[in-house]
Amino acid sequence: MAKPTSYFPELKRDWWLKHSYFKKYMAREATVLPLVFFVACLLAGLYSLLQGMESWQGWLQFMQHPMVIALNALAFIASLFHAWTFFQLFPRVMPLRVAGRTLPPNLMVLGQWLGVVAVMVLATWIFLRGL
Amino acid sequence: MTIKQISIQRYLPEQGSAPYWQEFDVPFDDSTSILDALNYVKEELDGSLSYRWSCRMAICGSCGVMVNNTPKLGCNSFLREYQGPVKIAPLAHFPVEKDLIIDMTLFLDHLAAVQPYLINDSGEGSDTFKQTPAQMEKYKQFSGCINCGLCYSACPQFGLNPEFLGPAALTLAHRYNLDSRDQGKKQRMPQMNREEGVWSCTFVGFCSEVCPKNVDPAAAVNQGKVESAKDMLIGIFKS
Amino acid sequence: MSNNTSDKMKRSDEPIWWGLFSAGGVCFAVFVPAAILFIALLIPAGIISTGAVSFERAQSMVFSLPGLIFIGVVICLPLFHAAHRIRHGLHDLKLGKERQNKIVTYGCAALISALALVGFVIGAL
Repeated sequence: MAKPTSYFPELKRDWWLKHSYFKKYMAREATVLPLVFFVACLLAGLYSLLQGMESWQGWLQFMQHPMVIALNALAFIASLFHAWTFFQLFPRVMPLRVAGRTLPPNLMVLGQWLGVVAVMVLATWIFLRGL
Repeated sequence: MTIKQISIQRYLPEQGSAPYWQEFDVPFDDSTSILDALNYVKEELDGSLSYRWSCRMAICGSCGVMVNNTPKLGCNSFLREYQGPVKIAPLAHFPVEKDLIIDMTLFLDHLAAVQPYLINDSGEGSDTFKQTPAQMEKYKQFSGCINCGLCYSACPQFGLNPEFLGPAALTLAHRYNLDSRDQGKKQRMPQMNREEGVWSCTFVGFCSEVCPKNVDPAAAVNQGKVESAKDMLIGIFKS
Repeated sequence: MSNNTSDKMKRSDEPIWWGLFSAGGVCFAVFVPAAILFIALLIPAGIISTGAVSFERAQSMVFSLPGLIFIGVVICLPLFHAAHRIRHGLHDLKLGKERQNKIVTYGCAALISALALVGFVIGAL
């Protein structure tokens, strides 16, 4: 136990503003906020798709609102920032060993980015086929 | 020699309850460490200044202080690295006894809780335990800890909840769990499985940034999460 | 002492939430960028014709097996990822109580995921 003569400063809730490293940490944690907005857009889209053609057209128009595009652009940047941080953590949390050797972390990060590119290519094919 | 002004956080419990900042002018060159600066202040300017130090070569781990809000070993960081003001304070998230001296009891209790030593009752290898270089490679990175406590001062989760076992203790637990000579994993897992074990960590990662021995405690703690998750799954299948 | 120790040594239920958080984190990093880029940026901005998501086409895409996978990796798992980070973020900002934060964040993620799956089932039938 701390002696009564000692001084023990309590961590205040603005602790993360005191160091640039902690601001970056909070930015990483906050990437989920624009993500939630995008997911909410998708749920609205699913609902309108169930409502019928007119409702679906309304949703497509809603998605064109400059404010909605701006927030989703933020979500896009947030998803890439999240990917950048998340891919670096992965080799540290689960170092993969192949033939008795740990895979170089950079190779694992690169492999994950290739996954992102592959999904982009897949999405291009899905949305552009038959147009 | 040029002169640099440094600010040191003073706390003298016998004179008053509030800490305060005091400025000192310290001559320095390229080889002047933060610890050298503190020694200069004590010897030449104010003999009442209290701080811990011993080896001055980053192995004893006793001269940790906050320099501009970042945990550092005084002997291992130099005045030449700081262009602007230099503010030296006691290590964060610990009770302060006097000036730059903290009470490390909490840290030592957390270390002891994970039984950071070889546990092996098999009787074999009673002279020496054999270990191959490949077996040693598995834990070697995590065995460089000098118990300086910088990672605890870098960890906001420890700052928010002092009950959190914290980076160094969890790293040592993982280090011994990975050791081929050790059989104590079963005894350590209940500590790691707790809310205040590995699960209070949110991978801020600052502990690994400040570690003077590049132990990467954040990686060890998060590998500990994988182990704890496996331990839970095994428990479910066994029951 | 022994009672106290066993109480303190209680196993955390965090592996469940951490597992969902990690799975959601992978989805957020690998699948979500493409989803946002196409659905929320390129098509609304008119760079890709809205014909790509005409009512009939959207219906056949969403209410199919690939559509179900899409709902899983772009809606449900990322929601649990978000819930986990929001819960720990509240703790970081010293807001709310741990138990209540957990119930509200994971509860919302579970409820919204269930609604999305119900919507899928209604559309697929």
